[in-house]
Amino acid sequence: MVMEKLGGSLQDALKKLVKSGRIDEHTVNEVVKDIQRAMLQADVNVKLVMTMSNHIKERAMKEDVPSGMNPREHVIRIVYQELINIIGKGTDIPLKPQKIMMIGLQGSGKTTTTSKLARYFQRKGLRPAVICADTFRPGAYQQLKTLCGKLNVTFYGEEGNPDAVGIVERGLKEVEKYDVIIIDTAGRHSLEKDLIEEMEQIHAIAHPDYKLLVLDGAIGQQASEQARAFNDSIGISGVVISKLDGTAKGGGAISAVSETNSSIAFIGVGETPEDLEKFESDRFISKLLGM
Amino acid sequence: ILDEKDLEEPLWDLQIALLESDIALTVAEAITEEVKSELVGSRRKIGKDTTDIVEQALRNALYNVMSANIFDLDDYVRNARKPVHMVFVGINGTGKTTSIAKTAKRFKDMGYSVVLAAGDTFRAGAIDQLQIHGDRVGVKVIRHQEGGDPAAVVYDAIQYAKAHRADIVLSDTAGRMHTNLNLMEQLKKVCRVSTPDLIIFVDEAVAGNDAVERAAQFNEAVPINGSILTKTDADAKGGAAISIAYITGKPILFLGMGQGYDDLQKFDPKWFVDQIFE
Ligand SMILES: Nc1nc2c(ncn2[C@@H]2O[C@H](COP(=O)(O)OP(=O)(O)OP(=O)(O)O)[C@@H](O)[C@H]2O)c(=O)[nH]1
Ligand SMILES: Nc1nc2c(ncn2[C@@H]2O[C@H](COP(=O)(O)OP(=O)(O)OP(=O)(O)O)[C@@H](O)[C@H]2O)c(=O)[nH]1
Ligand SMILES: [K+]
Ligand SMILES: [Mg+2]
Ligand SMILES: [Mg+2]
Repeated sequence: MVMEKLGGSLQDALKKLVKSGRIDEHTVNEVVKDIQRAMLQADVNVKLVMTMSNHIKERAMKEDVPSGMNPREHVIRIVYQELINIIGKGTDIPLKPQKIMMIGLQGSGKTTTTSKLARYFQRKGLRPAVICADTFRPGAYQQLKTLCGKLNVTFYGEEGNPDAVGIVERGLKEVEKYDVIIIDTAGRHSLEKDLIEEMEQIHAIAHPDYKLLVLDGAIGQQASEQARAFNDSIGISGVVISKLDGTAKGGGAISAVSETNSSIAFIGVGETPEDLEKFESDRFISKLLGM
Repeated sequence: ILDEKDLEEPLWDLQIALLESDIALTVAEAITEEVKSELVGSRRKIGKDTTDIVEQALRNALYNVMSANIFDLDDYVRNARKPVHMVFVGINGTGKTTSIAKTAKRFKDMGYSVVLAAGDTFRAGAIDQLQIHGDRVGVKVIRHQEGGDPAAVVYDAIQYAKAHRADIVLSDTAGRMHTNLNLMEQLKKVCRVSTPDLIIFVDEAVAGNDAVERAAQFNEAVPINGSILTKTDADAKGGAAISIAYITGKPILFLGMGQGYDDLQKFDPKWFVDQIFE
């Protein structure tokens, strides 16, 4: 979906190439400018956009058009390669027993995604259990407990206890026998030192197999910096882009992935536990470029 | 005399800076375009650098956007017939409920009595969240069951405020996507039935280009009176404020600057524009 949306504007840009029929510098410049605008509007990091568009321009001019390819296909191929370079393949979360820790900025969609993931594994025949390690946000316990209750998913939490690390420690023992254990944590950002430290302590106790950074699909230029901070702190194994059911294009997540050398695992497309889709970069980019 | 060629480079550089502050592309382009047409053909004072001239003009343009239609909420509340009713709206997770708690605390500290309406009957835990905030801040929360009719909760809160001579009712609503027609219709209904004095749009500083889209669509659905920009502690620049003010023509009232109840700051256009250029 990210790519489809980014795609609309890119497709327009590429139409110019078809019309012009051959590659000359003026046309390439124009097309690259359009691609630039499309990426900027999708919230791809400004510096990344500039680097990428320069690459595309250089390569489009320098590289010979492969035989049997028209100029349009040539540029599409370059844009495709540049994008795949950044996005990589999606993170594949295997269907096996494991621990997953959810992290991210305030309000990004961690708790909702926790319930979506529990549902996802439940459907695949694995038994999920969820631990609420958010002792900070008022109502976090009730929110996750309610969500799990509706799904019949085992929930561990300690209402009113502010000791998130202790809760995780006890929770892990309590739900030991479950296949997939998902730990929801409080929202935090890179400048909140205490909260970053708390996250590190939870991480040290939990030894999660996967650390999923949940990013709002609408996040702007902060995406790279925040992702870097989370990555420096505990390392991230994959990104979930939430709230892509609106008009946000998710370019922030692309920047985050580029910054941290990680990749995208899932996208969130609504508020219900079913509104989770596996991210498949090939399919998305191919669709984007009309291949 | 300045011509387009002189301006091109400094304008482009400034536009990049605006984009890096999270001002939406379309808004950044529109504002730099205005600055350009204002400057083309104007005389350059001897010894003055073109870059400085352009930056000054852009500062002025941004200041004008941010100070348009400014209104003082405190004056408004002081003079308005009580109870004053404000509804908080916006997309999911931007900070509506937290901003209500902060606003309640602020008005309570000023000596007003405040009632909260738990109008988010949709999201799991939303009613409990508002109740906990209400308890901590020390204000009454009117609530129904999860799944109840938001308009009915808001109605009850207003009745309660009238009966108890409360000064201010702050109504929470569920976060919703501006593209979700059903939910936007429901929001229109809540606003129609409860005839709020003020509708306040809440969005977050970390938002990028989408801020324009959703501000425009919320403003169209339920004409808003002003906005609150939250999470500026995560993103000091907060150019989303400019996107929102530009597209709605309505003032930014407060900035949310953290998760504490006192982390709410009255919006100051001059301070804000200086931040962008820092
Ligand atoms: N439309 C839509 N809403 C979403 C999606 N994912 C989450 N939400 C909503 O976004 C809001 C915030 O989601 P939460 O799951 O509470 O976010 P969080 O990251 O746990 O928030 P904190 O714990 O406060 O940091 C809620 O209103 C969710 O229903 C999505 O994919 N689409
Ligand atoms: N750092 C920071 N966090 C904030 C700020 N305002 C709100 N938050 C956090 O953002 C998260 C979401 O806030 P809520 O008030 O629940 O947002 P909401 O718009 O009511 O969310 P929904 O009702 O789910 O749509 C919570 O974790 C808040 O503590 C702020 O100014 N700074
Ligand atoms: K967000
Ligand atoms: Mg949460
Ligand atoms: Mg809320």
